[in-house]
Amino acid sequence: MKPMLSTDLNVADTTVEKAKIEVKNLNFYYGQSKALKDINLSLPERSVTAFIGPSGCGKSTLLRVLNRIYELYPKQTAEGQVLLDGKNILDRSQDLNLLRTKIGMVFQKPTPFPMSIYENIAFGVRLYEKISKAEMDSRVESALKRAALWNEVKDKLNASGQSLSGGQQQRLCIARTVAVKPEVILLDEPASALDPLSTAKIEELIDELQADYTIVIVTHNMQQAARVSRQTAFMYLGELVEFDRTEKIFTSPREKRTQDYITGRFG
Amino acid sequence: MSTALSLHRSRKRKNGVMMALCVVAAGIGLAWLALILGALIYKGLSGVSLAVFTQMTPPPGDAGGLLNAIYGSIVMTIIGIVVGTPIGVLAGTYMAEYGRFSRLTTIVRFINDILLSAPSIIVGLFVYELLVRPMGHFSAIAGAVALSILVIPVVVRTTEDMLNLVPNALREAGTAIGAPRWVVIRSVAYRAAMSGIVTGILLAIARISGETAPLLFTALNNQFWSSNLNAPMASLPVTIFQFALSPYEEWQQLAWTGALIITLTVLGLSIFARSLTGRREDR
Repeated sequence: MKPMLSTDLNVADTTVEKAKIEVKNLNFYYGQSKALKDINLSLPERSVTAFIGPSGCGKSTLLRVLNRIYELYPKQTAEGQVLLDGKNILDRSQDLNLLRTKIGMVFQKPTPFPMSIYENIAFGVRLYEKISKAEMDSRVESALKRAALWNEVKDKLNASGQSLSGGQQQRLCIARTVAVKPEVILLDEPASALDPLSTAKIEELIDELQADYTIVIVTHNMQQAARVSRQTAFMYLGELVEFDRTEKIFTSPREKRTQDYITGRFG
Repeated sequence: MSTALSLHRSRKRKNGVMMALCVVAAGIGLAWLALILGALIYKGLSGVSLAVFTQMTPPPGDAGGLLNAIYGSIVMTIIGIVVGTPIGVLAGTYMAEYGRFSRLTTIVRFINDILLSAPSIIVGLFVYELLVRPMGHFSAIAGAVALSILVIPVVVRTTEDMLNLVPNALREAGTAIGAPRWVVIRSVAYRAAMSGIVTGILLAIARISGETAPLLFTALNNQFWSSNLNAPMASLPVTIFQFALSPYEEWQQLAWTGALIITLTVLGLSIFARSLTGRREDR
């Protein structure tokens, strides 16, 4: 009886919430080798979705399809559909730069640009908006506040972004991403290079950001997925094994492979 | 215990021997440099005077200076750099950024490496055939072109290497924020590689300011003041070459002084280039 009930709840969950991104029959290739096999999933708006799975399972690859950053490299191809608000972003006519202003991304290693803290944030804004110095100042300030970094850097906005600590750099990268007002934020193991304190700060931040943004996080750390996400997708060998509410995945997964992974039997 | 101790002793001894050999080898290398510098300063410094920088190269037996040669060297070096650097930087940018995975890049890199180690006299002969013969006379322009051909491979190489050192994560970050490719290159990659690229240009200046062979067949030499780019022009290396081979004492003294000037200039540029890269590594 009980399992039936929870399944019903799941169905209700996914139908009520509007899907921001829908992935349909997605296949991905590195040259000849197939890295993603027929992925179907739907990411609800303004909520955190985690991709978990062992190394090489395709979780980062899937994330990199969502803003088509993989196109920087030759011989990487995606087939199928990725719908952002119902529009297929894998379409050839999709303007990549505009797509990436809508779908921001934060990487595993902090990647501040070789410029000042202020410029790190203004850089992205300036690409698509012409705003006055005063407006830019307030934009930079609000982005840094949003990323809980303002108090630490407000007196040294002209210092190099690379002079900050690792955790601060990562929050600077989040601020930079938030500043261009994206709709979706992709996080590729954003805390794996950081100490526990910085990690806690980043997780807190993710929790706050989901009020306004659709967030997708790839993580190696299952506790982190359990802490920050509402939905979790478990991937294995390029397949999406299971996708459900996070509590469900971690307490009563349907698939044996999911169970084995979250209990630490492999991965 | 005792075997471990004796093993430790024998390793220490071997280490001592190896280190001594390395120090001697390094010492030999440095000694030549010191000898050359010492000889230049000893023989050249006595000839340094205001006249060197204000008077023209003299006829045999007369006093004079090196003004026209210094001027010619500066002019041709500047033109060579101004012409060669953009070509080199752009080619290096293509190889490291746009054409990173293309076959053309592999081919260009291979050819560039050959050009990099090609004897400079061949470049001189090439420009002789290309410009001097059709024009019918030697000229500063031809000299500058020969120098720019020497600049290109140096700059291509350092630009490509330095851009390749920029982590891909940084390019991805620029791209992920919505920046078009050329903005990522200009504002992110160039900025990250700037000191390295500038160092390459400085090293290219250092290299061409001492080149004699490519100028011998192109700019030739000029005993008199000439700022006409379409006419033969004096340069320090060629003047040194000519004066050092002459039997006249005044000329020989001027050759030593000229050699000292070039060496100190190149040394200064190299130290400056070093300090630029050094600063980057500190960060």
